[in-house]
Amino acid sequence: MENLNFIDLTYTTAVILFLVGFVGGMVSGFIGSGGAFVLTPAMMSLGVPGVVAVASNMAHKFPKALVGAHKRNKYGQVDIKLGVVLGIFAEAGVLFGKHLMVGIKESFGAAGTNLYVSVVFVVVLGIVGSLVLRDAIKEKRGEATAKATTELPPLTRWVRSINIPWTMIYFKSMDARVSVLFLAPMGFATGLLAATIAVGGFIGVPAMMYFLGLPALIASATELVIAFVMGLGGTFFYALDGYVDIRLAMIILGGSLFGIQIGAIGTTYVKDYVVKFVMAAIMLLVLVSRFFYIPGYLSELGSIATMDTGTRGLLDGAGLGALAFALIFGATMILLALYKGMRDHRLAQAAAPAAAPAVPAAASAGAQLSPTGRFERFLVASDGSEFSAAAVREALSMAGKCGAQVHVMSLVATGVEHEALGESILKQELATAQAHLDGIAVQAKAAGVACETHLVQGNQIDREIVDLAERVNADVIVMGRRGRRGLARLMLGHATAQVIGLAHCNVLVVPRAAHVEGRHILVATDGSRFADAAAVTAGNLARVCGTPITVTSVHKPSYGPERRAEAEEAVARVVAHMQGQGTAAEGRVIDGDPAEAIATLARGQGADLIVTGSHGRTGLERVLLGSTSERILNETPCAVLVVKAA
Amino acid sequence: MSPSTPPKGSPWQSRALATTLILGAASAGLYFLLFLYADRFAAIAQATHEGHKLYALIPIAIAMVFSFVHGAFTGQFWDLLGLRAKK
Repeated sequence: MENLNFIDLTYTTAVILFLVGFVGGMVSGFIGSGGAFVLTPAMMSLGVPGVVAVASNMAHKFPKALVGAHKRNKYGQVDIKLGVVLGIFAEAGVLFGKHLMVGIKESFGAAGTNLYVSVVFVVVLGIVGSLVLRDAIKEKRGEATAKATTELPPLTRWVRSINIPWTMIYFKSMDARVSVLFLAPMGFATGLLAATIAVGGFIGVPAMMYFLGLPALIASATELVIAFVMGLGGTFFYALDGYVDIRLAMIILGGSLFGIQIGAIGTTYVKDYVVKFVMAAIMLLVLVSRFFYIPGYLSELGSIATMDTGTRGLLDGAGLGALAFALIFGATMILLALYKGMRDHRLAQAAAPAAAPAVPAAASAGAQLSPTGRFERFLVASDGSEFSAAAVREALSMAGKCGAQVHVMSLVATGVEHEALGESILKQELATAQAHLDGIAVQAKAAGVACETHLVQGNQIDREIVDLAERVNADVIVMGRRGRRGLARLMLGHATAQVIGLAHCNVLVVPRAAHVEGRHILVATDGSRFADAAAVTAGNLARVCGTPITVTSVHKPSYGPERRAEAEEAVARVVAHMQGQGTAAEGRVIDGDPAEAIATLARGQGADLIVTGSHGRTGLERVLLGSTSERILNETPCAVLVVKAA
Repeated sequence: MSPSTPPKGSPWQSRALATTLILGAASAGLYFLLFLYADRFAAIAQATHEGHKLYALIPIAIAMVFSFVHGAFTGQFWDLLGLRAKK
């Protein structure tokens, strides 16, 4: 059995690989496609055989694709069925490609695979790089590169119109049936290219867009599923023959994950054509680099006259130099773009307050509802879904009554998982989100409410909401509720619960069907200072709105009679306080599970608002100790105001 | 720091720092082990090549673990340094 010829892992090699991974990651994040077209040639230039370079590259990519696909699926951008179907055919392509590579290696040695990989690189990068360069030049000149049309292209219409019995599959993302006979070659070609140069997306994404008519956003997200399926399979098939050098793969991954974020963030600071120029320049430089190596491989194989050592060294040196220049050029361009963009943005922001219109006058002191909960600035988070529509509706309605200002935010997700999300696609998503925010601003204007919109990019919705709430000094955060329960809540997290835990201000959670009309308020107390804060806020709300209020405490049957007496005393104390303030209040101590009992009582009383305190637990503490507030949120159909103690 | 850096004293700053440090330590530990057993990994690949096919699962498991741990760390790392997308 032959030796695999893995390279020796010295510290110098490790540092070079890490830096190459870092630049490859930056390029990936910046241009929105796999940086593997940089990584594979770079590994080969360090002496790694072509087959090992491709195999190791796949090994570092597939877990990233899994994480990316999972995250983007949460935003509804992934057609899992299409991804899996194409992924299965891509797997066949990978298997075929791998056999081709191994066959070439066994017949012609490492020089054979090196030549094969290099020629495919030259052809593919030549085609794709030229197209990207053409687009960049057109954009720079101000010519449109994409026609804004809602009509499907003729090719897509034809693909969707062909009905071949027993082969048709329905796909939700297209709302159409497509024959598997069209999908098979698409998937196969994607897999074959991935097994050859470790970048299948060059075929997969355009094929989904132009043949199937998928929007670029869905195509790039679905590509992540394909990348995972074929990457996992490809890695396994290559690993079965021992070709995956996991040491190299993980060092490259180490640098790549640092670089991706810089690249992805860089795109938000530059113009579209800059991204495309950088992408085209790197692709064409890598092409030139590979081109210099080809005569050497041909010489090794005996296809051309044997080359003397000096000439071979010169050509290999030129190839390595071109690759190094491509990497340094790419990294410099991206870092410069990022630095310049951030500096300009900072200067623009510093100048903004002087030019900005005055903030609308806040509500009068009389409209403030409580010393612990001023209601002058609302922050409402909206993602355009039916769940957040209720939050927007109630925020505008309540702000109208209180004379409060409303800040509306929408989040466009960015992060490592958006490696395959091209810059133009991101802008398309930003435009959609901005249009949604503009629609809310119009609604607010019609309702006579002062409204400011915020389009935020980030990868943690809870964190971005709390961050913005602090920046705009929000008194209340208003959120919708998705109703995730049980294990799913624990595993996937719950943005609302996290916001409640982290925010300094109060949080109003509005389920889809809830309407806060001031019919009846239910306040829950356990005698703690957190519950006292809730009681004070509820009392002030009830007094201003003239709403009757019920104060309740829940006694678990397993507790002793002393605890029941304490509960009765706590309720009586709060009721007395409210009656002293002139509010119609009654007290109820009920038996049962706190969350269930409060939800049942709210329904029985016809309450449209439950007010509760928060212990401010998050993370593991919340998982272990539980949160009554959060469980109330899951049990009740009415709005819940979670009051944060000062 | 970028203009979108969270205000000082924001509730997650110390939490984010702690998470970043823990994930960074875990990531550094994994890479230490990778270098420590570098020769062993090359030997495992050679053994797989020579017929011990079950060893093929080892690089897959390693790739998953590194990706999750190091990915979580790098995401937190840049965020903590204030490198965030333009708002």
